Amino acid sequence: MADPQLAPVVIGGGDRDRRFARALIYVGGAILVVAALAAVFAPLLSKWGPTEIDPAGTLATPGGAHLLGTDGNGMDVWSRVLHAARIDLGIAVCAVALAVVVGTLLGLLAGYLGGWVDDVLMRIVDIFQAFPTFILALAVAALLGDGFGNLVLTIAAVNAPAYARLVRAEVRTLREMAYIEAAKTSGASMFGILWRHLLPNSLTPVRVIAPLNCGWAMLTLAGLSFLGLGVTVPTAEWGSMISLGTSDVVAGRWWTSVPPGLALLVCVLGFSLLGEGLQERADAKRR
Amino acid sequence: MRILRFVGRRLLQLIPVLLGVVVLTFLLVRVLPGDPIRSILGPNATEADAAAARARFGLDQPLWKQFLDYLGGLFTGNFGTSIQSGSPVSGEMALRLGPTLELVVIAVAIAVVLAIWLGIWSARRADRLGDHTVRIFALFGNSIPEFWLGLVLILVGYAALGWFPAPSGRVDPDTNLTPLTGADLVDAVLTGNGPAMASAAAHLVLPVLTLVIGVLAPLLRSVRASALEVLHSEAYAAAAAHGLPERTLLRGYLRRATLVRLPSLAALVFGTAIGSTVLVEYVYSWQGFGQWALRGLLYRDYPVVQASVLIIALCYVLIFLIADVVHAVLDPRVRI
Repeated sequence: MADPQLAPVVIGGGDRDRRFARALIYVGGAILVVAALAAVFAPLLSKWGPTEIDPAGTLATPGGAHLLGTDGNGMDVWSRVLHAARIDLGIAVCAVALAVVVGTLLGLLAGYLGGWVDDVLMRIVDIFQAFPTFILALAVAALLGDGFGNLVLTIAAVNAPAYARLVRAEVRTLREMAYIEAAKTSGASMFGILWRHLLPNSLTPVRVIAPLNCGWAMLTLAGLSFLGLGVTVPTAEWGSMISLGTSDVVAGRWWTSVPPGLALLVCVLGFSLLGEGLQERADAKRR
Repeated sequence: MRILRFVGRRLLQLIPVLLGVVVLTFLLVRVLPGDPIRSILGPNATEADAAAARARFGLDQPLWKQFLDYLGGLFTGNFGTSIQSGSPVSGEMALRLGPTLELVVIAVAIAVVLAIWLGIWSARRADRLGDHTVRIFALFGNSIPEFWLGLVLILVGYAALGWFPAPSGRVDPDTNLTPLTGADLVDAVLTGNGPAMASAAAHLVLPVLTLVIGVLAPLLRSVRASALEVLHSEAYAAAAAHGLPERTLLRGYLRRATLVRLPSLAALVFGTAIGSTVLVEYVYSWQGFGQWALRGLLYRDYPVVQASVLIIALCYVLIFLIADVVHAVLDPRVRI
């Protein structure tokens, strides 16, 4: 059987790739803007407070007084889904920012100085990377405990090694470039070389990875909370809301756990689209 | 011969990493807030009771002595005694590894086969509807929280349709399955227990599906990318222009190119799957290694945490080693 699809291969032109990349970036960005607005204006968009208990009853069906019903504690699901965006987006973005800063600094130092600094830092990175990341997050979360600051630290600690390795690799190739040699001979200080030449040039891969990483950070946070190691009830957070709804699912009650999961999925998708678009644009430029 | 030397060198490099893991977990688990002894004693236990229990598990010894005892035990395969259950950790672990491996191996195998098939299919339709559908599916797969996906599958497959059993274990206890390996489907086949086989298979469907969707996306993207690379290569264009039969193009060119990359990817995905399995086991009450390790962590059961962390790290680094070796065998361009 002849497959007509096989014969001619259309190679996507540069323009088409760039348009596709731009579309991905816009759609992803739009999703994230909407999510951020929902987080900021959550109190205006819901009649009930996120931890307010309706004395009229628990597990009310959607519709009526509660748009998405109430959960097992009698709290309004719609309001909690909106308010949770603050915690989930907040922790994820702060954690990735911290991981980028710390990882980049360590990577710069290791890559530029080489020698024993490099050896020690990279062996530590090796140990960190000897674990699947979620397992590592579990262990660090158990060590640090919950709370906004500790969860940011947990997720940052798990991610920083990857940035350190990425930046180190960039620096090691850049270090040999003629312009660095030139800067050195013209008497630039080590700090000057690191800050003005190596840092900006080694950040290119970081810019592409960071948005994808934010999505991953949200999934990790929700996973930790789902297992009881992250944000706990009554604070509104998607993972812990899904966890609370686990027993409802078996009984066929969808509204306590499906909406928070959908919200999480959409936000992570926003980050994925953004990251994919940036990646695609970087690839198109390289071609 | 070169391969053997390479494996030997890599194994030697693993020693400091694993030793680091052993030391770090030993120290960190003892820094964790919370006391494992208090959690097994009743609320009315006196300080003397606690001291006696501490002595029983050797926790009254100085730290360096505890560490040497632990390290000495490791060389003889003795992981110590679980504080929670009082039974040897190695025995408990053996019971828990089977179910989890069954889950992860089946899921990764299905995901790899699906990824090869769908990825090549998608690359050959690059920038057309089918390709876009596959890519959007991959983006969704990358963004979906597995534990939530598990719940949605339970909602649809069990609560609404009633096609699959309740998420409460791996096999129906009425089937009287004799456990051999812990992997229930394998045990059912080995003992020729028909009803248990059906029950174990039915229990496997939803958790395996959850894991497959979770790990498929990165595989799919990579297969698609390497197939595209081949499609754009001059060698492929020449082969197609010479009118080589389609089957040869597909098998000899497209599939072979993806196979070379596959080992390292499968290794990476295996790591993700080990992480996800903690969540998926929790959702389906699988009672496997992941749930056991999580319980150990929550109750600060030092020996259980130490053993599970070490085993996970060992599996992880060994899988990457195997992947590198397979890659080197498949691709003669790789210098090792």
